[in-house]
Amino acid sequence: MMALTDFLRDVGNDSALLLGGLRSTLLLATTISITGFVGGVLVFFCTLTSNRIGRYWVESYISFFIGTPLLVLLFLMYYGLPQWGVRLSPLWVSIIGFTLNVAAYNARYLTTAYRGLDTGELEAARAQGFTSWQVFTLITLPQVLRLSIPGLTNQVILNLKDSSIAFLIQYTEFFAQIQELSARNFKFFQAYLFAGIVYLGLVSVIVLIARHLEAKCMIPGVRG
Amino acid sequence: MALLEIKDLVKRFDGRTVLNGVTFELNEGQTKVIMGPSGCGKSTLLRCLNRLLEPDGGQIFFRGEDVALPDTDIRQHRQRIGFVFQQFALYRHLTVLENITLGLRKLRRLSTAAADKKAAYQLERMEMGAHRLKYPAHLSVGQKQRVAIARALAMDPAVLFFDEPTSALDPLMSLEVAAVINQLRSENVTMLCVTHDVSLARHVTDRVIFLDDGQVKAEDSAEQLLTTHADPRIRQFFGQPAALK
Ligand SMILES: Nc1ncnc2c1ncn2[C@@H]1O[C@H](COP(=O)(O)OP(=O)(O)OP(=O)(O)O)[C@@H](O)[C@H]1O
Ligand SMILES: [Mg+2]
Repeated sequence: MMALTDFLRDVGNDSALLLGGLRSTLLLATTISITGFVGGVLVFFCTLTSNRIGRYWVESYISFFIGTPLLVLLFLMYYGLPQWGVRLSPLWVSIIGFTLNVAAYNARYLTTAYRGLDTGELEAARAQGFTSWQVFTLITLPQVLRLSIPGLTNQVILNLKDSSIAFLIQYTEFFAQIQELSARNFKFFQAYLFAGIVYLGLVSVIVLIARHLEAKCMIPGVRG
Repeated sequence: MALLEIKDLVKRFDGRTVLNGVTFELNEGQTKVIMGPSGCGKSTLLRCLNRLLEPDGGQIFFRGEDVALPDTDIRQHRQRIGFVFQQFALYRHLTVLENITLGLRKLRRLSTAAADKKAAYQLERMEMGAHRLKYPAHLSVGQKQRVAIARALAMDPAVLFFDEPTSALDPLMSLEVAAVINQLRSENVTMLCVTHDVSLARHVTDRVIFLDDGQVKAEDSAEQLLTTHADPRIRQFFGQPAALK
């Protein structure tokens, strides 16, 4: 009991640093969730090209970034690029690296959902006289996005949790501050437990929003 | 002048010729039915006529203008044709009403109010007004069919295409569809209808086109083709539709 109140006092003393770290975590997670979403939709759009070579490149992009550990990519950019005179801040490396990675995963969710669409509807839309772009924005995307809500929101949760690895390239987010704290007071167990609880709390919020979104956007009679 | 005049239409898939010089006409206000064995190219023919598929040869005159030419405004052409698909192809993320207003708003550029009004009129015409806020998944097959027809009619097409409108329906509902088509016929809607259904053909049309081996083999009334046509293959087809399905 003593240990816990002691620890909470340490947290209180360091609250400015911890809150700053939390802000950095949320900044990174929110940014890559947005850029990764937009990127995923763009990559998904590219997979629909009838150009065989174009499709090959898009498929390669998705496979490459799903198949490569994100950490390798972050290290490559943060520690590798300066060799060629390119120096990027930890935040920028994180945003670029995560976006490339998250967009690939999101594109994969969307292409999987796309395979479940009724091609007859897409043909009917073309027969009505819609342009390819209108078919995409009015029929394909609204359906594919709704079918992908579970995958896409799960990715947002992963973004929040995985953002903690950015501390390995000197991005001082929440987990980095926790490390700092525990290195000073040596209460490692309490520190990591505290971090786990904070992440769990944030994830719960995302889950609640996701459930709400899913219930609201479900296509009647269609299971994702 | 004929609304549609098709001359020597040719379509190949990977070197295999499916349509091999199809020629026929469809006049304004006329209803024609296209019949023929499975796989003879009926759906392919309809898709070539609105350029969902690219013909490999021949001409398609729409009110005298060849719409098979490369410089044709394809989207403009498609908007003049109401296509009712076999599986109805309703947009499942949209309500019945939205299914109909989408084209009116995005292609015809009507205001939401004007589009709603027009859609409501077509839905009443198809006796679907009470269902306008439902989603496709909550409709019966016959109701989906009516919505698909209302969606096509709302665009004021010059001609309606039906691809196998009764193949998904039970006999009773098939009669209903026949009644709807007859209603449209009495209103002088021009229609081209592909079907396997001999009784539908007899109910709705003056003229049946018999398609086989990629060509129009005969064109006559359904009665005529069924009973007295000289070609035994044609008599047999109409005599035993079930066996050939
Ligand atoms: N996109 C395509 N690529 C290759 N072959 C095709 C394609 N579409 C149709 N075919 C072939 O062309 C032929 C005619 O097909 P189509 O669907 O037009 O026949 P149909 O008369 O409508 O048959 P059904 O009565 O079964 O509907 C068939 O042999 C079919 O396999
Ligand atoms: Mg067919």
